[in-house]
Amino acid sequence: MKQSSAMDSVIGRPQTERHGGGMADLAVIETILRNRHHFFIEIRDGVGLNEKMRAMLISSILFLALYGAVLGSTHSLWQTLSSAFKLPLLFLATLLVCSPTLYFFNVLFGSNQSLSQNVALILTAITVTAVLLLSFAPIVVFFLLTTAGYQFFKLMNVAIFSICGIVGVIFLNHGMRIVSSGGREGATARRWVMWLWVLVYAFVGSQMAWTLRPFIGAPSMEFELFRQLGGNFYTNVFTSIGEILGFLVVR
Amino acid sequence: MSDRTPEESTSTTDQILDLLLDALVERQRARHTAPAPRAGTTGSAWRAPAIEERVNTERHVEPVETKPAPVPVPRPEPPAAEQRRSVPEHAGPASHAMHVAPRPVPAREPAPGDEGWEPPARLPSINMGKMLLRLVILVAVLIALVNVPVNKYGTSLARILPESQALVIRDGLVLKGSGPEIYILDNDRLRWISSLDAFEHLGLTWEDVHLVEDSFLEKFQEGLALHVLLKCGSSPHIYRLENEQKRWIRDIDAFTAEGHVWEDVRFVSCKYLRDLPAGPSIPEDAGPAPEP
Repeated sequence: MKQSSAMDSVIGRPQTERHGGGMADLAVIETILRNRHHFFIEIRDGVGLNEKMRAMLISSILFLALYGAVLGSTHSLWQTLSSAFKLPLLFLATLLVCSPTLYFFNVLFGSNQSLSQNVALILTAITVTAVLLLSFAPIVVFFLLTTAGYQFFKLMNVAIFSICGIVGVIFLNHGMRIVSSGGREGATARRWVMWLWVLVYAFVGSQMAWTLRPFIGAPSMEFELFRQLGGNFYTNVFTSIGEILGFLVVR
Repeated sequence: MSDRTPEESTSTTDQILDLLLDALVERQRARHTAPAPRAGTTGSAWRAPAIEERVNTERHVEPVETKPAPVPVPRPEPPAAEQRRSVPEHAGPASHAMHVAPRPVPAREPAPGDEGWEPPARLPSINMGKMLLRLVILVAVLIALVNVPVNKYGTSLARILPESQALVIRDGLVLKGSGPEIYILDNDRLRWISSLDAFEHLGLTWEDVHLVEDSFLEKFQEGLALHVLLKCGSSPHIYRLENEQKRWIRDIDAFTAEGHVWEDVRFVSCKYLRDLPAGPSIPEDAGPAPEP
């Protein structure tokens, strides 16, 4: 009963409309998307923080795994399974690497948030990114079935990830403003810290993606769980653009 | 004004309205003392006495003696919108009254997190959880469908399209056009794999072969063909397998001149070698090939 009440506070729903645990975990998305102000206020007040984090973690892992599976389907069944495992890993590992920086810099500039609140906020951004990625999945499947251009498919996914990531960051900014509204001191500095942290997060995330690649898998190459290191994410994107525009051939 | 109750005077809106009414009364009085309006005067001037009468009736304003005060130069009444926007510099005391009660400027809406910010009312549920669950199931079904093999080669829908556009061009890429020839890409040149033995000797399988359009193959120049060299244990001779015929290589000079390396040599049984038909020796003037 207690757990159920906590879950109701997670999803912001009257207690009469209860569903099973899995459904409630997914329903957190509705609260984030439709009642985000209340969701962030609850994070600020520490209401049902653990349940919220659990629901967001489960939802985002599920959505990212499905999107990863779509990415890997271009290559082979093994790549499908591998990408379904690696995409959630990419986001969660980046969260793990970057959240202490945000927390300690916020504390340095007068924030009174706890590490759990910071992690909950970042998880909100990841969950929003994940649900948007899931919404793109049918489109990606459509292009998967109708085009065979590896470089095009890769760049299309870079664009989709960028769009969803930017929306996630906007949510993070929104949440950060509400959650840190208590401590007026150093508010501007904390806002700067947040944006700089977003840059760091993007760099770490892209390097993490490069380290965990392949997610799509080049059609002419054998399945590999991890490819050998070398090069970086940005040069690869530019090279792919070059090949699509006919300037060079990827080797 | 003095006959108002204290409750009324406490309301800011009432105060503003009173000031506006006062300003109107003052203006009407000023008009009465001014010359008659010219043709083209707006209709508002004609309604003014009625308004004044109503105001006096409703609010019981005591008639005030007309002050010999500054009378504005008669001019056509500005349109109503203009009146609202600005007060003429040469206007009389009435306009001063307008200045006294400036229009309230709406305050900036506080942003989320600002002081005084109130979150909007919580929106009712639209059962998005159920809808998301359906989307999850749909995507999972799509993934399963595109990964199910649909032909006897085990190719799935996701990988069934001709893939020449999808290939990452690299050394070692095995390509096949519409003909029976299989090529391996080596340093931007297509090297023909001359026999099944050579294909197997290179450690290739059919899964490595990428079917492409002939136009894709035409983009590359042809390089030296890839042959497998056969040798049996009890014979010192080396033969090149080409078009299912064995061609004897006379000596080391011929061997290296043809671009062969020791890694090309494959050991087979002497019986297998003997059973192969003999082709022209290498070089062609080397004479008849010895039996292995």
